[in-house]
Amino acid sequence: MTHFLIRLTLVCFVSISAFGEPDSAVDARAIKIIDDMERIYRGESSRAEMTMKVQTPQYERTMKMSSVSRGEEKSFIRLLSPKKDRGISTLKLDEEMWNYFPKINKVIKVPPSMMMGSWMGSDFTNDDLVKQTSLTEEYDLALEETEDTWRITLTPKAQTVTVWGKIDYVVDRNLMIPLAQNYYDDRGEMIRSLAFMEPKEFSGKLLPSRLEMIPLKKEGHKTVIIYETLEFDPADGTEEAFTLRNLKSRF
Amino acid sequence: MLLLKLAFRNIFRQRRRSLLTALSMGGGFYLCAIAISMTDGSYNNIIRAFTLSQTGHIQIHKGNYLLRPKIHTTIDNPFELSTILDNDSSVKSHAQRVYAPALAYSDTDNNPASVRGLDLEQEAMTTRIKQKVTSGEYINANMDDEGYFQAMIGAGLVDALNIGLGGEIILISQGADGSVANDVYKVGAIIGEKDSPERYNVYLPLLAAQEFLSMPGRVHEIAIVLNDDKAARSVARSLQSRMQTQLPDQFSGLTVSPWQVVESTFYKTMQSDKEGNKFSLGIIIFIVFIGVLNTVLMSVLERTREFGVLIAIGSRPFTITTLITLEMGILALLSIAAALVFALPSVIWFTEVGFEMAQPMDVGGFMFSHMRGEFSATVFTTPALIILGSALLVSIPPGLRAARIAPTKAMGAH
Repeated sequence: MTHFLIRLTLVCFVSISAFGEPDSAVDARAIKIIDDMERIYRGESSRAEMTMKVQTPQYERTMKMSSVSRGEEKSFIRLLSPKKDRGISTLKLDEEMWNYFPKINKVIKVPPSMMMGSWMGSDFTNDDLVKQTSLTEEYDLALEETEDTWRITLTPKAQTVTVWGKIDYVVDRNLMIPLAQNYYDDRGEMIRSLAFMEPKEFSGKLLPSRLEMIPLKKEGHKTVIIYETLEFDPADGTEEAFTLRNLKSRF
Repeated sequence: MLLLKLAFRNIFRQRRRSLLTALSMGGGFYLCAIAISMTDGSYNNIIRAFTLSQTGHIQIHKGNYLLRPKIHTTIDNPFELSTILDNDSSVKSHAQRVYAPALAYSDTDNNPASVRGLDLEQEAMTTRIKQKVTSGEYINANMDDEGYFQAMIGAGLVDALNIGLGGEIILISQGADGSVANDVYKVGAIIGEKDSPERYNVYLPLLAAQEFLSMPGRVHEIAIVLNDDKAARSVARSLQSRMQTQLPDQFSGLTVSPWQVVESTFYKTMQSDKEGNKFSLGIIIFIVFIGVLNTVLMSVLERTREFGVLIAIGSRPFTITTLITLEMGILALLSIAAALVFALPSVIWFTEVGFEMAQPMDVGGFMFSHMRGEFSATVFTTPALIILGSALLVSIPPGLRAARIAPTKAMGAH
C-alpha cells in the first residue's frame, strides 16, 4: 500500500518530467532531479511485505500484508494477518479497484462513492490507491528549493474534481528520497500529513522504510506502515498477478 | 341542614328545568368520559404496542449514542449492568443489543440493511419480536452443523435480495476495530411485513453480531421493560441517579433514557395530538358550561321575588349565594351519578370491543384494526370533576346577583 504512496510521490515527479518542456513553469533542475529519482526508484515491477499499524482513540490494529505492483497502474495487496482478515485482497487496475473477501468468497468493486472511504480501516483512502496516475494530470506543479530540500506544490487545475486544495511534496535533496506529503483543503488548512522516515536499503536502493499518515482533524488517529522487505522486478510480478482470477485465488 | 333541605326542595320544585340542566350536565359527563376513554385508550394502546415492539420503556446507552450512534460508543460491562437490573423490582425484563449498518448480499442482489444483534432469549421476554415472525421459526443462538449462524430478516429484504428461508445472506460492514466485517448467515426466519418498519433489518444472535463487528462482550444498548409502563420517567431518573452516585466507577458515562426521550418525535406527535383532543373536550365542556349557566340564570331570574322575600325577612346574602351553589352542586352530582349508569357500560364496551377501523394501522410492526378505549378511574373522575367544577363555577355569578338584589325591587318584580 505504502508502496503505492511512494510511487505516488514519484509519479508526480515523473509528471514534472512529462510537463518539463523548456517553456514549462517548472524549474529545469527539478526535471533533472526527478529523472534521477525515477532512475533510482522505479523498477518494472516490485514486491513488498509490510506491516500496517492503525491507531485510533478507540482501537489499535496491526495488519501484515504483501503487495505486488507493476508500473503505476497495477497493484495487488493481500492481507496476511490477523487471522480473521487473512486473505482479504485488493486489486487495482488503472482507476478501478476491487476487494476480495475469502470468508464470503465475494469480489466487490469499490464504487466511486466509496473512493474517499478508508482502506481497511486505515487513514489511507481508496482514492489514495487509484489516483496515482490521474493526480499528475489534474494538478499544476511548482518547485521550490531550500538548502536541504525541494518542495513541489500541486494545485488542482480548474476542471479537476478533488477534495484537496493543495498538496505539498518535500524531497531530501541529499538522500534523494521523499520526506513528506502534506494535504491541504481549499482554505489552505493542512488536513493530513504523510511522513517518510527511517531510510533503509532495499535491494541496493535507499527508500524510506517507515511511513506515518496523520489526519490532523482526527485527534489520536495515525497509520504507520513499516516496510519489511522490498524487491524490484520480482519473479511473480507478471501480468497474471493482476487479474480477478488471481484476486480470488486461495493461498 | 336547612340549606340542604331548601336546595333539594328547589331542585324538585322546578322538575322540568332541573331535568334539562341535569341532562345537559349528564350528557356532558357522558361525552367527556367517552372522549377521554377513547383518547387515552388509543394512545395507551399505541404506546404499549410501540414500546413493546422494539423500544422498551427505558434504554441505556453509553454517552450520547442515542443522538450520535457510533460503533465504538459501547457499554463495556453489560453483564454487571444486567445483574443490577435483574435485582431491580421495577424491571420486568431487559435485553442487550448491538447495531450496525451493513450491506446485505444474496447470490444475485444487494441492498442496505440494518444489523441488530439480539440476546434472543431475553429479547423474546422483553419485546414482541417472537410474534413478528411471519415465516420460519424464531432462531436460536447456536451455529448449525455447517458452522453458520442463523439470521432473521425483514420481509423487505426477502424481496430486495430475492432470498427465502434457508438461503444464504452475506453481510458486509465496518468492524469496531476498523476491519471490514464480512460473514455469511442462513436465513432462519422472516420478520414482519413488506411495509413494516423492520423490513430491512437483519437480526443476528448477540454473540454472532459481536463477533461479526469485532466487539466481543460489548453492546450498544440495553432495553428495559418495566412492570409499570407509566413509571418510565421516574425509574429512568432513579437508575441514572444510582449509577452516578452509587456506582460511578463501573457505569460512568452511561445514559438512561425513558421511551419519551428515545422516541421523542413519536412522543411529541402524540402529545400535540392529545392537545388537539383537549380542544375538542374543551368545546364539549364549554357547551355544558353555557347550558348550566343559562339554566341557573333563568332559575335566579324566575325566583327574584323569592330572594327578595328571603332578604327582607333577614336572610344573609352569603346564605342565598350558598343556597344557589349548593343546588347546582347537588344537581351536578345527581346528573353525574345518573350518567355514570350509562357511561360505565359504554366505556366497558369501547374498551373490550371498540370500533373497527376501515383501514388497519401499522404501529411498530403491529397492525391495529380496532380503536379501543381505556377503562380507568381517570376516565370517570376527570369529567366528574370538570362537570362539578363547571356547575359550581357558573352558579357563583347568578348567586352573587341574587344576593345583591334590593328586597323592594325584587318583590315588585314579575
